[in-house]
Amino acid sequence: MATERAGTWLPEAGKLELGSCCGPRMLSPERLALTDYEYLAQRHVLTYMEDAVCQLLENKEDISQYGIARFFTEYFNSVCQGTHILFREFSFIQATPHNRASFLRAFWRCFRTVGKNGDLLTMKEYHCLLQLLCPDFPLELTQKAARIVLMDDAMDCLMSFSDFLFAFQIQFYYSEFLESVAAIYQDLLSGKNPNTVIVPTSSSGQHRQRPALGEASMLEGVEASLFYQCLENLCDRHKYSCPPPALVKEVLSNVQRLTFYGFLVALSKHHGINQALGALPDKGDLMHDPAMDEELERLLAQVPGLVNSVTASSEASCLPSRTPPRVGSPWRPLHHARKVDAESDGSTEETDESET
Amino acid sequence: MIPGKYRSVSGRATNNVNCGLHLVIQTSSLPEKNKVEFKLHKETPSFPGRLLQHDLERNYSSRQGDGRVISPSPRNKSSCISSTTNVTELCGLEMKTTTSSLSAFGDSSIQTPSKSRIRQGCHSAGPNVSGDHINLVSSSMPSFPILQRSSEEKILYSDRLTLERQKLTVCPIIDGEEHLRLLNFQHNFITRIQNISNLQRLIFLDLYDNQIEEISGLSTLRSLRVLLLGKNRIKKISNLENLKSLDVLDLHGNQISKIENVSHLCDLRVLNLARNLLSHVDNLNGLDSLTELNLRHNQITFVRDVDNLPCLQRLFLSFNNISTFESVCCLADSTSLSDITFDGNPIAQESWYKHTILQNMMQLRQLDMKRITEEERRMASVIAKKEEEKKRESQKQSLLKEKKRLTINNVARKWDLQQHRVTSIAANQDRKDSDSPSQDPCQVDGSTISAFPEETGSLDSALSNALQGLSVTDTHLVEVDGDTLSLYGSGALESLDRNWSVQTAGMVTTVSFTFIEFDEIVQVLPKLKIKFPNSLHLKFKETNLVMLQQFNALAQLRRIDQLTIDPQGNPVVSFTLWKYYVLFRLSHFSMQKINGTEVTQNDMIMAERLFGILAHVASSELPQYRLISILGDARKKQFRYLLETKGKKPGVVSEENNDSKRLVGENTNRATLNYTTRDFYNEKLEEIKEKKKFCKMYIEDLVKEATEINMKNEALQKLWPQMFIELVRDAVIEIRNKSSYMKLCLQQITDQK
Repeated sequence: MATERAGTWLPEAGKLELGSCCGPRMLSPERLALTDYEYLAQRHVLTYMEDAVCQLLENKEDISQYGIARFFTEYFNSVCQGTHILFREFSFIQATPHNRASFLRAFWRCFRTVGKNGDLLTMKEYHCLLQLLCPDFPLELTQKAARIVLMDDAMDCLMSFSDFLFAFQIQFYYSEFLESVAAIYQDLLSGKNPNTVIVPTSSSGQHRQRPALGEASMLEGVEASLFYQCLENLCDRHKYSCPPPALVKEVLSNVQRLTFYGFLVALSKHHGINQALGALPDKGDLMHDPAMDEELERLLAQVPGLVNSVTASSEASCLPSRTPPRVGSPWRPLHHARKVDAESDGSTEETDESET
Repeated sequence: MIPGKYRSVSGRATNNVNCGLHLVIQTSSLPEKNKVEFKLHKETPSFPGRLLQHDLERNYSSRQGDGRVISPSPRNKSSCISSTTNVTELCGLEMKTTTSSLSAFGDSSIQTPSKSRIRQGCHSAGPNVSGDHINLVSSSMPSFPILQRSSEEKILYSDRLTLERQKLTVCPIIDGEEHLRLLNFQHNFITRIQNISNLQRLIFLDLYDNQIEEISGLSTLRSLRVLLLGKNRIKKISNLENLKSLDVLDLHGNQISKIENVSHLCDLRVLNLARNLLSHVDNLNGLDSLTELNLRHNQITFVRDVDNLPCLQRLFLSFNNISTFESVCCLADSTSLSDITFDGNPIAQESWYKHTILQNMMQLRQLDMKRITEEERRMASVIAKKEEEKKRESQKQSLLKEKKRLTINNVARKWDLQQHRVTSIAANQDRKDSDSPSQDPCQVDGSTISAFPEETGSLDSALSNALQGLSVTDTHLVEVDGDTLSLYGSGALESLDRNWSVQTAGMVTTVSFTFIEFDEIVQVLPKLKIKFPNSLHLKFKETNLVMLQQFNALAQLRRIDQLTIDPQGNPVVSFTLWKYYVLFRLSHFSMQKINGTEVTQNDMIMAERLFGILAHVASSELPQYRLISILGDARKKQFRYLLETKGKKPGVVSEENNDSKRLVGENTNRATLNYTTRDFYNEKLEEIKEKKKFCKMYIEDLVKEATEINMKNEALQKLWPQMFIELVRDAVIEIRNKSSYMKLCLQQITDQK
């Protein structure tokens, strides 16, 4: 039965992955080369199926109240909407690119107001905010993200919300890729070309020159073109998600030489990459979320009241005016979630519009 | 000629001057003047006010000083005696012209009688010896006048000589008066005691109101009993070595700063050192007969040696600088003391003054000139008993306080150790050690600590009233002080399991946690909610609050009005958002104060503005199955109820729902934001991991099966057309020869039969 259910939802999940994944491996010829099982695994369908069953087992008592079919509907709906990652464990949140993007988006939506308020926060405080959404979010990741924004010796400095968010996006979404990049960068710095074996023709002459150059300008980092060749190579064979090579090229083409953190900063500030990632709006629209603002206004209107009225009204506020007869219905949060999803879909469209 | 008998009468009898002493010297050899009366406190001021009576020194500048104007009053002498005497007669008869002529000195002496008459005229004991026929002649030595009296005078007043107000600057040479027993130089300008060493029978010497700077020239006066040196300029008590019989010594109104050289005066009964510069009282050993000691108007701060005075009955310490009973505590050891004054001292202003004195000096009969009644004494003893109890109490309290301090230190040290260990293990908690260096690694040695538990056991019962339920051990401390429950160290949390009295539990409104891991506190919060339902104010100090989400745990409490998070050991306080988050998350408590600061409407709005969307997203976008599992058991019921009502008509439902909503104390949209402690969370993760493993295998099997089926299906699809064709071809080939096929068929049928 479960298989059937999962099976029926497969196309949707697959579609979802197609939407959020990028890279040359998406193309169908490669798909044919894979076995069915490998294909499902690579498309993270298995991840969601496993998680769905896992969730079902975890909440079996509650779920038996309203039916397993309904549960699966809800589960995969929430996966589509990106709300499935709320308050989940970190291992799940980072399991798929879609989850990562969803988390980034959730973080932006929930704490956009903090940025809007203009507060500059420390890395630790941002970490706390992350932990509100994911209790076991590792400090290490936040630290790495902060390192993109801040100098190494100024880790306790304050950061603006947008700076942190975009840096965090790069660091979180591409963390495995960046690790590899860091390794490549180190190799380049120390004079060996990690690509020599793989691409012997491309830069054999160049990398002969490297040591001399490196000595002359050690402080400036590595040469951009050489770096790009290495990265292109990496993108080709990297099994985790990585930024579109064309955009990386664009980033690197502007400069002669660059440092690792310089590269990360450039990545985080590149709006094309942000668009490709699709989780966050453009920097200019970062504070812009009219649907949520509307919601917030409604919440604020209830603050001055008594505790009871706040309780009641805030629940009532969950209910959009569009469904007046449903007031007080236990399904209301769910219904409402759908509404909000619609809204959030709308906002994605907005960002899409802004891309074009 | 030595007075044979002394009789001291209580001064109370005359003039109501309680402290007066009448000294009566009876001389046996002179029947007509057998009584020489010394009024020590001679005159009562016209109004009998207590202070004035008591405080005679006040009149120092006037003539009736503290001292005694001691007037020897021969009883049988008529009051007109001086009037009969003629000045010229005096001159003519008595003056013995020696080598030198009359000096100016002589003139003065001539006028003296009249003067003294004026002064003393109204006095009952008026007749003064100064009316004696006295002849002052300047002696052969240029500076000393020589005094001689007529033989008649000598016979009449053979034992006394008064030279009051003679403007004498030196002591005259007194010739032929070896049997003189009483000599009066009051109110002169004498600077040095001289020329009286021949008067070896002298008993009474009055040098009141002169300008003497040093006690001298008295070494031969071995029989001297009364020496009055009041209102002079003496700086030092000295040269009294031979005056072993001294009975009264008056040194008031001098500049003496130290009591010294008096220890040999074993017969001295009265010593007046009022209005001097004494800063303390000691060196009183040897004054075995002293009954009265006047020390008023000095700057005395402490008194010693008084307990070495076996006969001392009256001690006047008024107008000094005594401020504690401890500085005069030797008085308590004196068994003879019956009358004492302390008025005009700082000590007399204290509330405990009277009863402390009375309690410590049971022998007293008068205090500050007032008779002590039995009632007062009883009161004093009652108060003193209370005082004693209080003292014991406070001693115990301070003992406990000290123990508390040590324990807290110990807990702090343990906490520090723990924090360092934690930080060395968990790299992501590197903050704490930098926050807690202010906790000095305490210097408590193990022995003191280990002695704690048993001692507290005994104290605990005794102190149950004053300090409700206080238990001290070396690892934690629980204290209830008024409305505050203080917990130090994680072990203290166990105390919440104890059976607290309803009263105590009801009284506690403030709960303070120190040196306890917040995660541990979270686990006892439900207990706290039950045991101390009135706790409104929570304080956290050194509790390792590092994350905003930890505040979620507080939402489960019944009510919080105030929250105090000490920055020490709680890094979360350094965040700019923490206060708003608390306000947001605990908005259902409508808190009044956070860290002592009043919560304003603006704060509330700000909190909502910052985190409202988080709550909204959390509540509205979570899939329902997640919502239910997050809200936990307590809310499951609620949701089941909601689920049931779902089926009903909306109109009916809404009302019921409102009721049920009210039951929910906090915002449901906020309830999704909860906190699970690290340990618990890790446990959960482990559990999930197990489940995941199973799910993974299960899904793997399913998918493999499915793909296999799929593969077979695909293969079948591929093979089927060929298979079909072959089947058809076989069939066609078989039935091509109709007759043989028919035969075969028939054969088969018959075979079957």
